[in-house]
Amino acid sequence: MIPISFSNVSGGYGSLNVVQELSGEVAAGQVLCIVGRNGVGKSTLLKLLLGYLPCRSGVVTICGRKAGSMAPETRRGLGVSYCPQERPVFDDLSVADNLAVMVQDGRLAGYRHFFDLFPVLERRLAQRAGTLSGGEKKLLSFTRGLAEDQPAVVLDEPTEGVQWENIQRMADIINDRKAGGTAFIVVEQNLSFAELIADHYLIMDHGRCVLTGPHTGIGRADIVKHLTV
Amino acid sequence: MPPFMIIDRRTMLAGTAGALAAGIVPGALRRAVAADGEFKIGLLIPLSGPAALFGPSNQGCAELAADEVNAAGGVLGRKIKLIPTDAGAAPAEVAKSVVRLMLEEKVDLVIGSHDSAVRQAVEATVKGKGAKSFYLIGNDYVWARNSNEAAKSYISAGGGTIAGEEYVPLGAPNRFEEIVTRIKGAKPDVVLITVIGADNVNFNRAFASFGLDKDITRLAFLLEENTLQGIGAESSGNLYSCMAYFANVGSEANQKFKAAMKAKFGDKVPQLSTLGADAYAGVHCAKALVDKAGSTEAAAVAAASQGLSFATAGGTATMTGRHVDKDMYLALCKATEFEVVKTFEKIASGQSCPV
Amino acid sequence: MDPLIITQILNILFGVTTLAMIALGLAITFGMLGVLNLAHGEFVMMGAFCALVVDRAGAPFLLAVPLALLVCGGVGLVVELLLIRPLYRRPFDTLVATWGLSLLLRKLAEAGFGLGFNSVAVPLAGTTTLFGTDYPTYRLVLIVICIAIIAALFAWYGTSRAGLKIKAMVGNPDLARALGMPVKRLATTTFVVGSCLAGLAGVMVAPLVPVHPYLGLDYVIKSFFVLVVGGLGSVLGVVAGTGVIGGLDSVMSALFGSTQAYFTVLVVAILFLWLKPRGLFAHG
Repeated sequence: MIPISFSNVSGGYGSLNVVQELSGEVAAGQVLCIVGRNGVGKSTLLKLLLGYLPCRSGVVTICGRKAGSMAPETRRGLGVSYCPQERPVFDDLSVADNLAVMVQDGRLAGYRHFFDLFPVLERRLAQRAGTLSGGEKKLLSFTRGLAEDQPAVVLDEPTEGVQWENIQRMADIINDRKAGGTAFIVVEQNLSFAELIADHYLIMDHGRCVLTGPHTGIGRADIVKHLTV
Repeated sequence: MPPFMIIDRRTMLAGTAGALAAGIVPGALRRAVAADGEFKIGLLIPLSGPAALFGPSNQGCAELAADEVNAAGGVLGRKIKLIPTDAGAAPAEVAKSVVRLMLEEKVDLVIGSHDSAVRQAVEATVKGKGAKSFYLIGNDYVWARNSNEAAKSYISAGGGTIAGEEYVPLGAPNRFEEIVTRIKGAKPDVVLITVIGADNVNFNRAFASFGLDKDITRLAFLLEENTLQGIGAESSGNLYSCMAYFANVGSEANQKFKAAMKAKFGDKVPQLSTLGADAYAGVHCAKALVDKAGSTEAAAVAAASQGLSFATAGGTATMTGRHVDKDMYLALCKATEFEVVKTFEKIASGQSCPV
Repeated sequence: MDPLIITQILNILFGVTTLAMIALGLAITFGMLGVLNLAHGEFVMMGAFCALVVDRAGAPFLLAVPLALLVCGGVGLVVELLLIRPLYRRPFDTLVATWGLSLLLRKLAEAGFGLGFNSVAVPLAGTTTLFGTDYPTYRLVLIVICIAIIAALFAWYGTSRAGLKIKAMVGNPDLARALGMPVKRLATTTFVVGSCLAGLAGVMVAPLVPVHPYLGLDYVIKSFFVLVVGGLGSVLGVVAGTGVIGGLDSVMSALFGSTQAYFTVLVVAILFLWLKPRGLFAHG
């Protein structure tokens, strides 16, 4: 079963179609990296996939179910976790509450592994999440999303502002989970990070797909060409 | 002769001080006369908003008066036709008191009869109860302040003292706990009440809940049947009202008036109160004025007001000079009913002519 | 201490707690959902009419509580599903819609009960002697009940997991949905709770005031002032707002008079709008 697939998806804000006729899919244990310059519609595509914006046309399938007009909270129930690019954490809640809010018993035991890799989070458990740095918020969001342990994970620019050392640890975690069968869709600007995890690329420009294929067939030069045009 | 004349408010006030009230606003008599055919009277009544409570009563009483006038030949030979117009307020306007609207229109009209009523009522309580000290509570506007000015002069003339005097804003969400506490501390013999509508209810309920009703007499100057309903039986002990009309007045004229209302409306008789009774008087006053003047010419109408007599729910009222003589009543609240305890006959209005 | 001063202190307490009770529901729907419910006063009015119905039927006054919860909760549920839900994130449309709703509810009450004043008998008539002063028993009981309800809500919101979820949902609804929180159900529940609190407040004040269709207007104005001063989205804001507005109103009223008190409240509300438009405890 394909965790996430989408075909001929168009949509955007108001009457504007930011994303036009995009298709793609990600298999279990694979990472699809979506790359492109700022403002080409990468985040919009994710919002269409996750139900924050309505698709004007096309079909989105999550874990074998057609998503149709399902609300985001329902799509999550189908098996997809999402770490948004903007406002990635609950600013008013403490770091601990951010992690515990949807945990049944409210305990943080499930996060042990992440605390070992990112000790900064454990040090700041009692702190209000709004006071964290941008990179720390991203780490918190990443930790929360990955710990949900769902078959599919959607990450929107997860490494923005994160130190290189921690970016490498994030890549390690993703690669571990890939081995366990988790599918990822990752929007990323940092090509070095993308190269550590990507199995497939989807390169976007002006809301359309300009290049797609396995990472083995697409070199850094091909990507950079589209990023700088 | 133009097809219609406008009778302005001031002119009518001159003639009808004290007799007219909310029901018929003189300004609404404009366009009253078509050269022939019907004699149209605009009836400014509240049909919407909280004051609409009094609309049916005003309209019903005015309709009865119109029927009576028509049966007796109409005005200048023409039949009266009432044209009800909504004087109710827009929702934003209706913030508070149910009678606020009417009182804004009514103020000038009722002052005349009221300072006399205040005198009679104050004298009655001083003599009857040996009351010495008075506490005055009113809404902050001209009628309440004027009434209280009058009351204070009668009180000091009778050797009484003023224990306190305060005013609450008209149309604000007032609370009365603080005022009642001050009254409790001042320990007056009598509280004179000129707050109106919902404020009147709130004040009296708070007053009674603090247990002050047992020792202190309350005397209200605009407390009609529906307000008493809101105050409720448990809060109306030792409460008096002084007005020109109560539905329970036993006078022959009122029995006749009530019988006529009953005959006209059957089971659907609207709640009778001083406000409806004033509308009734207003129509009769208009007829008498215009008949006597022979036209609706402003000057003629003003002149005709001298010595004019017309029917009211309480009996025939007569204008002598520019005053209206009418009966006033002092009533004691028994649960949610008024029981008239004293009648002041042929009380002259003290208001001087504004024209 | 002078018994009159004690009475005035109790008056202040009574003014603040009852105002908080009425403002609470409004603050919850406004702060949590961004819905300025102009019909909030009409829910208070409906609660008061529930008390009137129970009173007229000669049933025990306390029966008015479940009746009001049922009526106001039920109407709140229907209103949220049919009127509010389609209009979330359209604050002006919501304003107009709830204003229309307030007219409708008033007119329905008018059609059912007429415009006349009605009175509900005070359930605990008489006075109780406290610190050497007589104070109306019913008002004393109301003070205690209001404080208990507000404290319970405060504690529940601050410590429960549901409170945590509500905070998360209010602060970042998109992320809350990404985490699978049932935001629509929480929104419906929140609106119903706000409606029920208004109904409860209506039952409480019914024996103190003339019960009539326009009753809600008297209460909703000061509640809006409370929101202006306290800010949105926190129980603390409501408590602070009522403390400032209700306290000022009562203190000024006790010291000078109602006109001065009303004037002060208006000036303070305007100053807050001007200098601190987000209130003392603005959210976020």
